[in-house]
Amino acid sequence: MHDLISYHHLRGMGIDVSLDVESIRADFPILKRKLPNGKQLVYFDNAATSQKPQCVIDSMSEYYSVYNSNAHRANHTLADEATTALEGARKSISTYFGTSPDQMVYTSGATEAINLVSYAWARENLSTDDVIVLTEMEHHADIVPWQQLSKEKGVEVRYVPIDIDSFTLDMDAFEVAVEGASLVCVVHTSNVLGIRNPIERIVELAHSQGARVLLDCAQSAPHERIRFDDSGVDFVAISAHKMGGPTGIGCLLIKKEVMGQMGPFMTGGSMIKTVSTDGSTFQEGHALFETGTPRIAEAIGWGAAVEWLEQFDMKDVHSHINRIASWTAEKISEIEGITVYGDSSRNDSSGAVSFLHNSIQSQDLAFLLDEGGFAVRTGHHCAQPLMDALGVPSTNRASFWLYNTMEEAEAFVTHLSDVVDRFSDK
Amino acid sequence: MTESRNWPEKLDPIVEEFSACFDSMERYELLFQYAKRNSSPLLPEEWNEQNQVHGCQSRAHVSCSLDVEGNFIMRGGADAQIVQGLMAITSIAVNGMAPSYVSEMSPDFAEEMGIRSSLTPSRANGFLNMFKRVQEEAAILSGGD
Repeated sequence: MHDLISYHHLRGMGIDVSLDVESIRADFPILKRKLPNGKQLVYFDNAATSQKPQCVIDSMSEYYSVYNSNAHRANHTLADEATTALEGARKSISTYFGTSPDQMVYTSGATEAINLVSYAWARENLSTDDVIVLTEMEHHADIVPWQQLSKEKGVEVRYVPIDIDSFTLDMDAFEVAVEGASLVCVVHTSNVLGIRNPIERIVELAHSQGARVLLDCAQSAPHERIRFDDSGVDFVAISAHKMGGPTGIGCLLIKKEVMGQMGPFMTGGSMIKTVSTDGSTFQEGHALFETGTPRIAEAIGWGAAVEWLEQFDMKDVHSHINRIASWTAEKISEIEGITVYGDSSRNDSSGAVSFLHNSIQSQDLAFLLDEGGFAVRTGHHCAQPLMDALGVPSTNRASFWLYNTMEEAEAFVTHLSDVVDRFSDK
Repeated sequence: MTESRNWPEKLDPIVEEFSACFDSMERYELLFQYAKRNSSPLLPEEWNEQNQVHGCQSRAHVSCSLDVEGNFIMRGGADAQIVQGLMAITSIAVNGMAPSYVSEMSPDFAEEMGIRSSLTPSRANGFLNMFKRVQEEAAILSGGD
């Protein structure tokens, strides 16, 4: 903690300092781990899920060991404490994302948040004549709900392609696709390419057509501050576990004027106001969409994660990650047979570096990297339309977060070079 | 090792070859060599939905039959060399054996080779799914008893 105070002190003096990564790493016990083969863990699978700082682990453990109780609607001390912690976390999290607690609905993650928009808003407001615009970069979680809706309601779904040379969204095609659209669903930052889409322009074009905008921020939330109220976006979907929080929780942020256009998604539990044999009445606002017993421990853990993140300037975090990612992308692209997908030299890239070797199959390569202690992801990354556009079935992906170091990246490049040397077809 | 083994004796030299490797990377290199010289391949043009082994992260296909003398013949192919190497070794083990023997064979030889120990349970599933498929087909070819 002393080092972090020093870091803030220096920043307060206007001195440009990079992150105190050594101090950050001390907050993550798992990073000290050695694998069964004796190799030091190097965790480069952050786009799948991040590691958790000790304070998150402690906060959840404290809930279960000290004040575990169901939240809301009880008149005993533990229930009060649990409710206070649950709603306190909502306050911390919504504030972190630049909005108010009443605009935030707890969900199981970004996937459920997108499905919530699909069921609670789109099914209430869209019909046969409506158009939904997606992109080829979307995660399956932001494609399948809309394909299902299209089957059910006859809504037209349009896909905006990527420019295969620059790996960016084809904005000329977007301008055509958005004409007459009612909803635009777009990923803020691609989980495969690391490319950040030009959201400001997308919102402007969508709103000029009267279309709502749903932004999938699962990948961007760990890398930049989302200012929901200032963004103009109508819905934002976020997962906690990619930004230091626990698995099983996320949220949907909803613009105030849009919340009133939404109907219930799931029913029962906390969303109920009254029930009689004649029928039921429901809560209003975010409570309408939170059914059953809340994810109390997970919410508390996520609250602890955002409070932990508050100590950093996310611009520093981004620049640290981007420096590692762009260096790694450049170095591995120099290894014979390796192709990198994405442009990590862009200063708005997120730190995901996707690559393939021309003779070592991606799954084999992942095993061989793991033998060196390096955890990377392999597969289609739940983005098969993007894989089709890239003309590959899968990629390997190294993704970085604030606790990763240049030394780890250097060791990764060295090991990858050695693997290619030993295992490629020559 | 040999007293408790439940695999053909002809596999022993291979098991010993793998066990003698210096480390897991050397073991993988050896496995890649077996993949490249797979003597009982199922070529990609023969891959189809019927012979696909499900549960593998990579594409894997297995075809089983009997030769003129009624002995078991397995051919396999995969896009990943690690799976292909395991298929090559499995085919060395099972080819020419009675299908009833194959259906009762144990996959423990992979662990003895140090392969399973270098593969986590989720990764080993690819091999185990492939082996299970071979056993099921062997059971059918042996008359289903």
